[in-house]
Amino acid sequence: MKKFKYLISKTLDEAVSLYQSHGDSAMYVAGGTDVMVKIKSGKVTPDYLISLTHVGRNSEIRINPETGTLHVGGLVTHRTLEMSPLIKLQYPIIHDAVQRIGSTQVRNVATIGGNLVNAVPSADGAIPLIALDAYVNIYGSAGEHSVDLIHFFEGPGQTVLMNGEILTEIVVPKQPPRTGGAYQKFGRRAAMELPLIGVGVLITLEEDSNRCVRARIALGVAAPTPIRTLGAERYLVGKEINEDTLNEAGKLAAEESRVRDSIRGLAWYRREMVAVSVQRMGLTCLQRINQLKAK
Amino acid sequence: MEEFTVIGKRISKVDAVDKATGRALYIQDFKLPGMLYGRILYSKYPHARIIKVDTEKAKALPGVVTILTGEDIPPIRLGVYKDNPPLKSGKVRSCRDEVAAVAALDPEIAKEAIDLIEVTYEALPAIFDPEEALKPEAPLVHEDHKTNVLKMPWNLHYGDVEAARLEAAFNVQERFTTTWVTHCCMGTSGAIADVDNSNNLTVYTNTQIPSLAQKDFQETLKALGVKDRRVRVIKPSIGGGFGSKLDTYAYEHLAILLAWHARRPVKILFEREEEFLATSPRQPTVTYISMGCDREGKLLYRDMSMVLDNGAYTSWGATTPSVMMMPITSLYRVPNVRYTAKCVYTNNTYCQAMRGYGNPQATFAIESAIDMLAEAADIDRVEFRRINSNRPGDVTPQGLRITSCGLPECIDAVSKNLDFGQPREKGIGTGLASLIHVGGGARIYKSDGCGTMIKMDDYGKVDVFTGASDMGQGADTVIAQIVAEELGVKVEDIHVFHQDTDICPWDVGAHASRTTFVAGNSALGAARKIRLRLLAMASKATGVSEDKLVLKDRAFFAEGSPILPLPKLLRSSHFTPKGQMMMADNFYDPENENMGRDFRGNMSATYSFGTHGVRVKVDEATGKVEILDYIAAHDVGRAINPMLLDGQVHGGVLMGVGYALTEQVILENGRNMNPDFRDYKLLTAMDAIHSKPIVIETVDEKGPFGAKGIGEPGCVPTAPAIANAIYDAVGVRIRDLPITPEKVLAAIKKKKGAVSCGIDVFTQKEQPCE
Amino acid sequence: MSREIKFILNGNPICIAIEEHWTLLYLLREKLGLTGTKEGCGRGECGACTVLVDGLAINSCLYFAVETDGKNILTIEGLAAEDGSLHPLQKSFIENGGIQCGFCTPGMILSAKALLDENPRPTETDIKQALAGNLCRCTGYVQIIESIEAVVDKRIEDINVVVRETGDSD
Ligand SMILES: Cc1cc2nc3c(=O)[nH]c(=O)nc-3n(C[C@H](O)[C@H](O)[C@H](O)COP(=O)(O)OP(=O)(O)OC[C@H]3O[C@@H](n4cnc5c(N)ncnc54)[C@H](O)[C@@H]3O)c2cc1C
Ligand code: FES
Ligand code: FES
Repeated sequence: MKKFKYLISKTLDEAVSLYQSHGDSAMYVAGGTDVMVKIKSGKVTPDYLISLTHVGRNSEIRINPETGTLHVGGLVTHRTLEMSPLIKLQYPIIHDAVQRIGSTQVRNVATIGGNLVNAVPSADGAIPLIALDAYVNIYGSAGEHSVDLIHFFEGPGQTVLMNGEILTEIVVPKQPPRTGGAYQKFGRRAAMELPLIGVGVLITLEEDSNRCVRARIALGVAAPTPIRTLGAERYLVGKEINEDTLNEAGKLAAEESRVRDSIRGLAWYRREMVAVSVQRMGLTCLQRINQLKAK
Repeated sequence: MEEFTVIGKRISKVDAVDKATGRALYIQDFKLPGMLYGRILYSKYPHARIIKVDTEKAKALPGVVTILTGEDIPPIRLGVYKDNPPLKSGKVRSCRDEVAAVAALDPEIAKEAIDLIEVTYEALPAIFDPEEALKPEAPLVHEDHKTNVLKMPWNLHYGDVEAARLEAAFNVQERFTTTWVTHCCMGTSGAIADVDNSNNLTVYTNTQIPSLAQKDFQETLKALGVKDRRVRVIKPSIGGGFGSKLDTYAYEHLAILLAWHARRPVKILFEREEEFLATSPRQPTVTYISMGCDREGKLLYRDMSMVLDNGAYTSWGATTPSVMMMPITSLYRVPNVRYTAKCVYTNNTYCQAMRGYGNPQATFAIESAIDMLAEAADIDRVEFRRINSNRPGDVTPQGLRITSCGLPECIDAVSKNLDFGQPREKGIGTGLASLIHVGGGARIYKSDGCGTMIKMDDYGKVDVFTGASDMGQGADTVIAQIVAEELGVKVEDIHVFHQDTDICPWDVGAHASRTTFVAGNSALGAARKIRLRLLAMASKATGVSEDKLVLKDRAFFAEGSPILPLPKLLRSSHFTPKGQMMMADNFYDPENENMGRDFRGNMSATYSFGTHGVRVKVDEATGKVEILDYIAAHDVGRAINPMLLDGQVHGGVLMGVGYALTEQVILENGRNMNPDFRDYKLLTAMDAIHSKPIVIETVDEKGPFGAKGIGEPGCVPTAPAIANAIYDAVGVRIRDLPITPEKVLAAIKKKKGAVSCGIDVFTQKEQPCE
Repeated sequence: MSREIKFILNGNPICIAIEEHWTLLYLLREKLGLTGTKEGCGRGECGACTVLVDGLAINSCLYFAVETDGKNILTIEGLAAEDGSLHPLQKSFIENGGIQCGFCTPGMILSAKALLDENPRPTETDIKQALAGNLCRCTGYVQIIESIEAVVDKRIEDINVVVRETGDSD
């Protein structure tokens, strides 16, 4: 295995300046579950790893009391998200995804920020957040800025981050009432799976009917980056949400997906599963909205 | 029923405390002073000429001690067919071919050195499909062999299959395929070789065959010009076997060759990726089967032919047809049988035996076809199996003499517990499948024997030296129980040694579920010798006649009360003039037979039977199969340790479920595409199935306390039981393993009339539903 | 580069110079001789290397040794009591067939410990979920799950006993 120096930064600024002084030979690391695997297999060969875990910020989950927005620090682990009652109750779509990332051992250290920045098409963390219209806050030498998560990814392993920028926070806008979301990772085993396809659906209904006012359908592994299937979303808006309309939306989403054959699964099957999962997750959304009402 | 104090009890494994506390030592944990670390360079191509191997740069790397290429080693040939040199020269025949080996001061340097070796290849046309490899124009994997077909003709014909076919009222004819799956021992392969100054060799290695490995290593020494030296094989705790350690492998011989050249101990330890790439999986098969029965459902004939993908070299995988013959000729009563099998060289990875030794592949075809035949004959599938069930006293066409046989009871137990009659729900179905397996050893070699030595000390503690190998299945515990029962002591009083050929007697190895039966009988025989002497001495000391004395709980009892503590008797035997030591040895070789030229012969002293039943739920939209209930009934003769027995069954079943549904080594043009647990779908705890084991005790007259072997059977009938249940649930028959959701969904679509499963976005071509 | 770190290992403070690229697994096995922690894959996929860091189960094959500085590490060697008596989980694995080849065992037991410390009354699904990252080829997991359930049942029994005793004294 490649030898490297492990630099611990105590502040964001220190991290950024360390990064800039080492240029291409440095990499950030959070939980290290992607970085270490890549180093061990020789896919990356950094001389320096700059640890972000001690910057003392960005490791909490909170709701902004004024705006109602959800803030998830980039260093929050999947396990923390999984165990958070707030996430479980109010953002079940995130809970769906994080509770099935890797194993407990992986989730105990792996971070949501690392999951997003690593930017593999199969990353589970991104899909629900995209469905929730999340944006990310980015910190760098030029200061802070935000990017909508859907525009964060540029290709497999590629994001808009430049020059040692750090993903500090994920922000989820306050969701309107009667909104329900659900995520499904479609895999072969019941655990330890990278998805063949990852499907996140978020639906907002009219106050007193099952008519859809807003729909989000986000897919992982359906293209080189996470995507939204806008045609299927548009189709649902204004329609009664039921098995039939969801079935149709599923078909549209499947058509919009750009799935591929790989050893993990065949394109035709993935496309089929997009259709099936969109429908099923849509129905779960409906169920969850009605449960909310019941409470 | 007889009363036992230790037999039949749920006794903890004798090595469990060490394993629970992290004290047990595996090959991973061994380090010798001055030890070097070896590493192997594998081929880049599935088939290529080696033009040049340049080791100059690697040699110059500080810390590198020895580098070997195919040109540097004497002629050594490994495997049953002696076609596999530990380092290849001239040509490589698969992507796992060993091209060079390095020994260095630490593993990192060894790795770096491997990267510095430059090999020039000239790629050759390669062959990956065994049926294609049969064609005359196919490239030859071994030119000097003249053909890709191994010269091991597996042909048998008993009775008259063609005549029976004409007579049959119902027939089926089908093709089934299975693919590579691999053992996935959690502890990877590894070995340490150490040659002393007199050229005596010690090898620490994960092996299921210490005595035969000793001989293989001896051969390598001989090739190096060293004759008549000691070879000692030390077997650490093994992190799983399942058949993978039934042969010796290039890495073990390379450790020896490197150690020989470096004159220092050398350790080669596989990383997980290497374990996937360079160990030998279960043999894939293409099976053609036809079978017929009369109007009453009595089987009249079974006609099978197979092509097995041997890969580029030959290990025990090539001999699996010898075991497949058993279910083919003898699973259910079938008077006319024909079977031919060809093992074919390809440029794929070479294969090895894996739990069941061919039986899972054969049983998948047989038991799937049995369901199809029952349906054709319109006979209930459970009834169909009852009609044809083997019975005690049968002699099968192959000459297997069925003694104890609990198959009818197993079928009944499954049908009772699974309740096949339950009202059906959509997408839910049941299936069953049975098995026969060797339960009393298997005479593959001239000997099927195992030795035991026992000695007792002054305090009634017993040391048992056995030839058996424990890989985690609990062989040592079962042996301890048998000896404890016979000598009237407690299991804690017994220490079983099985780790060292310098200490332990000879054995042919841990295969064919033979250990409980053969090593058990061997130990029982040795213990009995001591017991008889103890009784005689006790009788003399107490004046009570031998037949009135009972030896149990570390003492002699007469009329229900203890009259002489065992340790006291032992001490007196040591401390009296003309004293004696309580030691005995025993060699047990069962009364089974080698197969004759016509493959007839009673291979095993007794046979194990079993039936599995499963209820599945098939998601018709996704093709996913969920297992709802699983019943595994086994005729085990006697359950010496029900807890360990359940463990063998649960472990076997989940391995079988993986074989049926998820596991496959994906080879594309000879290259392993999924050498990690991310993509090799070993089932997790979340996938665990709470199978219900049912034990049928038929108390075999030859088995130790009536026991038969059970190591392998747990994974044999799983795949066909599941395939049958899927058919029952949604009416589609999947004929190739693994039964992935894709295959199920495509079949469902096809059944509903769809011709295409969709359009591939990249090729823009329609993909047919199969 | 080497660096000095201090941490608590199985209850004892230690201070050791390490190289920054070492994994915790490497430190434990190769430098501290604690070979009870196993390596089954080195990639976070099998759980054989599981140890507890501040009570959380982690894969030590991916964990930076540097990051243990100031933390509390528990390995299988530290689980039994000082007098050598076994932890209830160890006992239960031994008595209920939770161990076959034993290679996965240290990791399994530590994952189970982390679970029970956090959730003393887990359901079967909780247990399966907690073990999902610990692969086992031998057992089919059934007797491992049963071993853990037995500890849970026993604890519940113990709690009941205590409740009854206090009830009696009222
Ligand atoms: C066995 C196993 C199973 C897995 N299963 C899954 C799964 O089911 N689903 C899934 O989606 N993933 C899975 N993963 C992948 C991985 O665990 C996740 O992607 C994880 O979230 C990465 O987080 P980390 O903190 O470990 O990232 P690291 O490895 O520390 O970093 C990943 C990348 O992000 C960069 N980085 C990290 N944090 C920041 C930041 N705040 N700002 C800028 N750059 C940053 C690093 O430089 C690096 O390039 C699995 C991994 C393993 C080993
Ligand atoms: S060795 Fe760490 S998870 Fe396998
Ligand atoms: S006991 Fe062998 S891997 Fe679990």
